[in-house]
Amino acid sequence: ASSERAMAPPTARVTENTDRQPSQADSTETTQQIVDTDRSSQQPNGSAKSAESVPAEPKLSGAELKKKKQAEKAARREREKAERAAAGGTSVAPNTPAPPQAGKGDSQKKSKPNQQDQKSNQQDKDQKSNQQDKAQHFRRGSGTTPTSQKLPVRSSQPSTQAMTRKKPSSKEVGLFGHLYGHPRRQTLHPTPPKEVHPSVLSLGLQMSTYTVCGSNARCVAMLLAFKAAINAYTTPPQTSLARHLTSHYLSPQITYLNSCRPLSISMGNAIRWLKDLIIKIDPAVPEQDAKLDIADSIDAFIRERITAADTLIASAAADKIQNGDVIVTYAKSSIVQKTLLQAHTQGKRFRVVVVDSKPLFEGRNLARALSNAGITVQYALVTATSHVLGESTKVLIGAHAMMSNGRLYSRVGTAVVAMQAAERDIPVIVCCESVKFTDRVALDSIVGNEIADPDELVGEARGEARSEGGTDVEEVQGNAVNNQGALKDWRKRENLQLLNIMYDVTPAEYIKMVVTEYGSLPPSSVPVVHRISTTV
Amino acid sequence: MPHATMPSVGFQAIILCGPGESMSTFTSNRKDFPKALIPIANRPMVWYPLDWCYRMGVTNIHLVTPPESASAIEAALSQNPYLTSLPSPKPDVLAPKDLTQTTGTGEIFRLPEVQREITGDFIVLPCDIICELEGTSFLESWMVQEAGLGGATGGIGDNGPIKSGSGGEKKGRRGGLAIWYPTKGENSIKDEETDFVATTPLSAPIVAPPASSLRPDIGNLVYSMPTDTLNDVVEEHGGFPIRHSLLRKHGRIKMETNYRNAHIFFFPYWILEMIKRNEVIENISEDVLGWWAKAGWQTGLGDKLGLREVLSSSSTPNEDMHESTDLDGMLDDEVDVASLSSTWTSPSTKHPSHQTPLDTSNSLISPTAPSTSSVAPFQPLTIPPILAYIQPSTTKPPLIRRVDTAPALLTTSLLLAKLPSLEELQTTQQQQQQQQQQQQQSPNPPPSTPASRPSPLAHPAKIAWPEGIEKPSRVETDSTLLDAAVTVGARANIRESVVGANCQVGVGVRLQRCVLMEGVVVGENVQLAGCILGRRCRVEGGAVGKGDGGERTRLTDCEVQEGFVVPWGTEAKGEEFAKGLSEGEEEDEEGDTRMGWQVEGEVEGGDEGGIELG
Repeated sequence: ASSERAMAPPTARVTENTDRQPSQADSTETTQQIVDTDRSSQQPNGSAKSAESVPAEPKLSGAELKKKKQAEKAARREREKAERAAAGGTSVAPNTPAPPQAGKGDSQKKSKPNQQDQKSNQQDKDQKSNQQDKAQHFRRGSGTTPTSQKLPVRSSQPSTQAMTRKKPSSKEVGLFGHLYGHPRRQTLHPTPPKEVHPSVLSLGLQMSTYTVCGSNARCVAMLLAFKAAINAYTTPPQTSLARHLTSHYLSPQITYLNSCRPLSISMGNAIRWLKDLIIKIDPAVPEQDAKLDIADSIDAFIRERITAADTLIASAAADKIQNGDVIVTYAKSSIVQKTLLQAHTQGKRFRVVVVDSKPLFEGRNLARALSNAGITVQYALVTATSHVLGESTKVLIGAHAMMSNGRLYSRVGTAVVAMQAAERDIPVIVCCESVKFTDRVALDSIVGNEIADPDELVGEARGEARSEGGTDVEEVQGNAVNNQGALKDWRKRENLQLLNIMYDVTPAEYIKMVVTEYGSLPPSSVPVVHRISTTV
Repeated sequence: MPHATMPSVGFQAIILCGPGESMSTFTSNRKDFPKALIPIANRPMVWYPLDWCYRMGVTNIHLVTPPESASAIEAALSQNPYLTSLPSPKPDVLAPKDLTQTTGTGEIFRLPEVQREITGDFIVLPCDIICELEGTSFLESWMVQEAGLGGATGGIGDNGPIKSGSGGEKKGRRGGLAIWYPTKGENSIKDEETDFVATTPLSAPIVAPPASSLRPDIGNLVYSMPTDTLNDVVEEHGGFPIRHSLLRKHGRIKMETNYRNAHIFFFPYWILEMIKRNEVIENISEDVLGWWAKAGWQTGLGDKLGLREVLSSSSTPNEDMHESTDLDGMLDDEVDVASLSSTWTSPSTKHPSHQTPLDTSNSLISPTAPSTSSVAPFQPLTIPPILAYIQPSTTKPPLIRRVDTAPALLTTSLLLAKLPSLEELQTTQQQQQQQQQQQQQSPNPPPSTPASRPSPLAHPAKIAWPEGIEKPSRVETDSTLLDAAVTVGARANIRESVVGANCQVGVGVRLQRCVLMEGVVVGENVQLAGCILGRRCRVEGGAVGKGDGGERTRLTDCEVQEGFVVPWGTEAKGEEFAKGLSEGEEEDEEGDTRMGWQVEGEVEGGDEGGIELG
């Protein structure tokens, strides 16, 4: 459980917390229902009296409903406990009622209170009917006379109930349900907090549209934007910069950026460093000096942890490239690009295979840049990985983050490439600055990940072909539209879900080496490097 | 009007308050009643751009006006109920002493008074623009497409000029955005001026933009000129010559002639420097835009305009730099966000010598691979693009329009009068809610319809003072706006009209499609249709004579000047009533005053011509 907690991106945690607050009642309720159905199927011998005791009053106010629910819940808990005690070792222990992820996701979607009321009302009714139903079931089981008419009713009701419960979340993939938070902010509506600086404002939008994408780019852009924001900051009277800046000025900016796209590990590390820097500023230092100091420190941070680190890593990794190598890389990493370009300028002769995937096609940019520089490049999609790996000699990939258990957290698809390479004993080399190292661990890519808008997979369906008149334009776009036709109205199709996750986790055993600015290490050394880099 | 407090968006606004040549009937008295204060649907014209700016979070606003009109605008800003209800801070009135009614819009930005006030990126607006489309939508597009990466900005900070970051204009970011709106279609004004605009599509987005995004309608501007200039060119050359360099660079060019420049420009700071350096620039929409658009594809033009120096040192216009106090370190030259970003193609390296001999065909990947082997004398200049938002002419587009002629004033006022007021919307919403509540009782509540958001231009109420209307009378509230303290006599019939504050509408008056500015007195039994009545003018009433030939006053499609008295018994169609002028003289007068620094594009006829750059 601790690993789960640690794995979830910090920011995602924050939003979920704030979200859960209003819809608590709701999510608990869905939990209860699941428990109910579970139990009814598993333990048909439960006591029927509590179910019967549910009064059948028609309408209740919100407060009353809540009270009633609480009472019900308490009663159920009691009952469960008693049952469990009674069952002892004879029956299989009931499944621990883990909160169903789909339910949570759907509760987050709702925002209107009256709608919620309706819903809870409905659910209450459902629940009631469910219980009554169960009561009948039990009664039958215990030998009391079941009316023949009731039977079809009983069998039909649960199914309709299940449908109504699932419906709102049917577009969220159940396994990843906990990752669906707010959709990314892509507009300036609703109004962002007043404190947000213009450069942060535009950076947020640039991040949510992937104009600025990639762990390093986002981290650097954020720090530069914060530098501009801090430059524009003035401490209000009767507070000190050290106390006010972080909590009242930087946090709205961070929250805004996070709402545009969840912060990367590197950004989180940079923010932690920046906060630490600010809090340590002596209140006696004049504001202007303090601001200058922060700006200089930010520059130094970028230089030391990213720019200079990149240079070091690139030269170290370039040494690993030999004449005649066929390097496979996945998507686009700025360090990998730098490494390859450096090896090329060193006069080494090698070939590069860029493996890429939908929907961002980041690899195209790498392929173009490399071919512009004169490197022979082959471009393939991830589906062709096994074919492409056949003649390759090394796999060189970048990272979003390195986990403390040595696992690599990177663009989704990396794991496939790494796995297939490891199977063929092709060394997988990861290039990663220490700023991307985290003390968290990841066992899988389900617990912590980022869900992007599923519509990105569909293509330009939402933008609609708005072009008018021009025939050639229509032809060009018409083709594209036809290709997307099948998935275009996926939201309306009942049994269709789209999953667009951003990252995956590559097990440490597939990784031969991690090249950092502290040297080239095995993945098991990640925690050591992390400790060194954070304590220094 | 609710104004949510937007955060500062990094722009300041410059609103140009011109003389209003094409509405001469109402702008004859520029000292006391400049064009900027002419009411459109009862609000002073300048309220619309001001409100638009405030709503998108731009609060640093300057109104630029010739000195003679300054005091009137100042007074209105502190007295007019509509202008005083705008959020603070109040806009500053800027009246440069060298600014006359005939100064070109480009020249305005070379005036030291104006230059001093511009300290960053800026938006240029005319005072006569009505834009229902939220400014934030444009800002979003600008921020995504053009804002500097990594906080790169330009301008003058507290400590002297801000260094332009590496993610700014040097990397081809921080361009501009201009807006065009359709002149054909629903509610369009007849014979509205049009501009010629040619655009090329932007590179495909990384992922599909959100549905609300304006991006699908934004293009890269490659040509911009008034249609009249275009016609001149066509006449002169017997066709429209297109340079090969344009076609070499852009395969797909869309040319439009049915759109008009809204004269809303989002400009980066460096444009100011460009205007300053090029004395030939007379006005913005034609010269700045036209040249900027051309410089994007015409090789050498950028250098001719001095853009190389502008872009490399755009933020250091003052020679006395205080670099020591600058907060920027030496870092900026090193780190380039764009090349780090995984969705950008990094520029090719500067080491073409290491090109491998086995240069196989990479045409699959890069059709536009820059020829690294050819040794250029200097790097080709990347000029940040000027984007063009061309509003699609759909069935019910948000209103964007310039109100610079009398017919435009009339139709726009009437159009705005039809917008449901906030009061009406509230009542309908309440009704809807009640319905919903009733439906909630029923087992299957239908999905709630999204509450229609009121137009930002809606008035709080259609009739500000209902007590002033005598019964029995007919006021069609769907399409009529009555401002405060309007009295309406019995048996009056008002349809599709806008009546300004303190107007008196007499007994038995019929108004249809009329605009009455403030303080107009309409005597009894007068019939008006399609008329615009200036401030405090009077249309005398009387008893209707018997029969067809009886005495009456009936005005159709007329314009009445401020303070004019129309005697009883006047029947006219399509006339202008102005002081001391017979119609013929008036025409001449108009002809003489017809050049002016009214935000350009107003000038009728193609006599002005465009400046052709070879």
